[in-house]
Amino acid sequence: MANTLRPDSSFGTPVRFPGLLAAVTFLAPLLGLMVLWEVIVRFFEVSPRTFPSVEAVALASWDMLRDGSLVRHVAASLGRVTVGTVLALVVSIPLGVAMGLSSAVSNFFTPLLRFFSVLAGIAWIPIATLWFGYGFGAITFIIFNSVFFVVVYNTLLGVSSIPLSLRRAAASLGANWWAMLTEVILPGALPNIVTGVRTGLGFAWRGLIAAEMIATNVGLGYMLFTARDFYQTEVIVFGMIVIGLLWLLLDRLLLAPLERATIERWGLVVST
Amino acid sequence: MTHWLHQCWSFYARLTVRFPVVRSIVPFIPVVAFWAIVAQSGVFPPAFLPGPLDVLKSFGTLMYKGILPDYMLDSMVRLLVGTGTGIALGVPLGVLVGLSERARKLLWPLLLFFQAIGDIAWLPILLIWFGFSLTTMTVVIVYTVLFPIVLNTALGVRSVPVVLSRAARSLGASPTGVIWHVVLPGALPNIMTGLRNGLGFGWRALIATEIIVGTSGIGFMMFDARRAGSVVEILLGMVVLGLLWYIVDSWVLAPIERATGQRWGLVSSQQ
Amino acid sequence: MKNLSLNHLSKTYFDPYAGKHVTAVSDVSLSVNQGEFVAIVGPSGCGKTTILNMIAGFLPVSGGEILLDGQPVSGPGSERGVVFQSFALFPWKTVLDNVGFGPKMRGLSKAECDRIAREYLELAGLANAAERYPNELSGGMQQRVGVVRALANNPEVLLMDEPFASVDAQTRMTLQEELTRIWQERRPTIIFITHDVSEAVFLADRVVVLSKGLVLKELNIDLPRPRVWDALMEDDAFKAMSAQVLQLVRSA
Repeated sequence: MANTLRPDSSFGTPVRFPGLLAAVTFLAPLLGLMVLWEVIVRFFEVSPRTFPSVEAVALASWDMLRDGSLVRHVAASLGRVTVGTVLALVVSIPLGVAMGLSSAVSNFFTPLLRFFSVLAGIAWIPIATLWFGYGFGAITFIIFNSVFFVVVYNTLLGVSSIPLSLRRAAASLGANWWAMLTEVILPGALPNIVTGVRTGLGFAWRGLIAAEMIATNVGLGYMLFTARDFYQTEVIVFGMIVIGLLWLLLDRLLLAPLERATIERWGLVVST
Repeated sequence: MTHWLHQCWSFYARLTVRFPVVRSIVPFIPVVAFWAIVAQSGVFPPAFLPGPLDVLKSFGTLMYKGILPDYMLDSMVRLLVGTGTGIALGVPLGVLVGLSERARKLLWPLLLFFQAIGDIAWLPILLIWFGFSLTTMTVVIVYTVLFPIVLNTALGVRSVPVVLSRAARSLGASPTGVIWHVVLPGALPNIMTGLRNGLGFGWRALIATEIIVGTSGIGFMMFDARRAGSVVEILLGMVVLGLLWYIVDSWVLAPIERATGQRWGLVSSQQ
Repeated sequence: MKNLSLNHLSKTYFDPYAGKHVTAVSDVSLSVNQGEFVAIVGPSGCGKTTILNMIAGFLPVSGGEILLDGQPVSGPGSERGVVFQSFALFPWKTVLDNVGFGPKMRGLSKAECDRIAREYLELAGLANAAERYPNELSGGMQQRVGVVRALANNPEVLLMDEPFASVDAQTRMTLQEELTRIWQERRPTIIFITHDVSEAVFLADRVVVLSKGLVLKELNIDLPRPRVWDALMEDDAFKAMSAQVLQLVRSA
């Protein structure tokens, strides 16, 4: 990387919107699919009870936006995810750091955490509804433990894989425990933590949809499941698109860049 | 006193060297003990939290009655069928996406979008099309397993150094020969990672499907027990689930992944 | 006159896999004067790294004491700077922030830290690398950063743990010459661990040969400074001393 700054480098260069170009190339196949979809539905005269046409979905989306039901469902789903995730992060990251600092402790807890990571989310639905009843509590619990176990495990892994020499270097440069935590431990474990958050959120999102299908009366999963009873395929397809878009936005615009920024910039390797 | 402690620690250390499995099992002992104590203390009513012994008893009964083995078999069969189909579809697709830049540009956004929708969201429409049947469940599993496999295969294919394909061509290999002898082995570590991730997601998807629409299987067992208010079986289901997957993942999948990954270089993965 | 003294230092620890106690350092006494460059050499397992880790405060002492200017040392501290074999640069900080870390820990303002950091980077000839991240630099450059990072904190003693073992031979020679140049300018007290005998003789005022946790012999190196490889490689006195030390190490 050249360190020279050309004072006139802002003039004369073509204006570029890399983000816009990337978005267009990304959307093109999806739009193509939409066209294909409409063509198939019309050509094969597919019954609306089997699969909706593009207009039906567009109409349904407009209706749901207008009467506020979409907003209600999306808000409920996102609200649960946010609360559950924030709670989980607040508990799991400090716990993971504490456990990762001692190699004896981290070795001991690793099998346990891996076991519970496997169970995270969906498998807890039956017992969650038993303990918390239906609705917000159970679903937030599912979200919580989807994120919790995975993040503790990854945080622990991240902290324990910080080379000892780095911690010693900081100590020999006069770092106290607070500096050690904020300048060495957290940055060092950050790539793993971010990977953990990304994975955990993936489980949480899926768990959310599944739980909402059977354990509540508002939310995207619920919206999808009840539409089935009335063969409202246009609502179902619309809901699926919303779910896909939300996750894509969350993952591609927030999580993936965060992961890239930490790992690639710093040249670190995520331990697995 | 310290001498005695040292000897115990030494004994444990040498035991873990001879039997690495000890390291995986020992941490569970305090957890189970803690569980037993909490359940015994009556802080939560037994209808809420039965103890480990009750779960163990239920395990024995259900095994004896043949119910549990049946359910386990059902679940496993669905998972294997779905995974097998997923591999059969996913690996070739992944190779295509990996090798052809045009295919990649066309399919990549579609793959990402459909992966984002997620397996569960397809359930309602699958139920309309296929009802509460095995087909529905299989489709969900195939769908779930497909994406990690395709994405990781594509990644693996793309990370095979071009020089290797060129070397093969210059030694007389045909294009298919290159795929078979160079690309596939080169991508194998990543394919294994994709398989491992895919199975993990597939396992979860299976359980979710069984919970929501199942008529048999472990997920169904848990949900049915919930309806009947029988907590013991819910916990049993969770323990069996966790153990099964833990065993398969740690002792079958992870070693295979490590063996291929370590022999042939670093592995990067797509989530 | 600040100095470092090791009095009858020993270190034993319990190895659970062997099931018994292991002695890494038996009985080592050493006295180092301010501004002196001491090299400790010995075969693998002779305890030299353990001694360094004890002086640095990373390992507790089993027996004996370490006195810095008459005060016993305990735990790591910025008066004993360390340069690591693996460089140990913070990958998430720029070179500038790495070198400025010590001053930052002392509570200096950002401007002060940057100023000190740039001064030391200038000393190492790395002024242009200030905004880079460690993984963008070569091994030799990273280690130069490691050296000035420790120096920027003005330590009373600089402890160097086989710092050039991870770089290639040519870079190593360059780094050795640079180290002596920096040392002659700033005159820190340096304790340098290595298994490379000619490196030790090239760099040090005094070479301490260690064997199985004990001091075998100390040799004063009275070769004139500044020392340059081109000249010394064929120098008889240098060759003789290297041979002498090598023989001691190999007989250990």
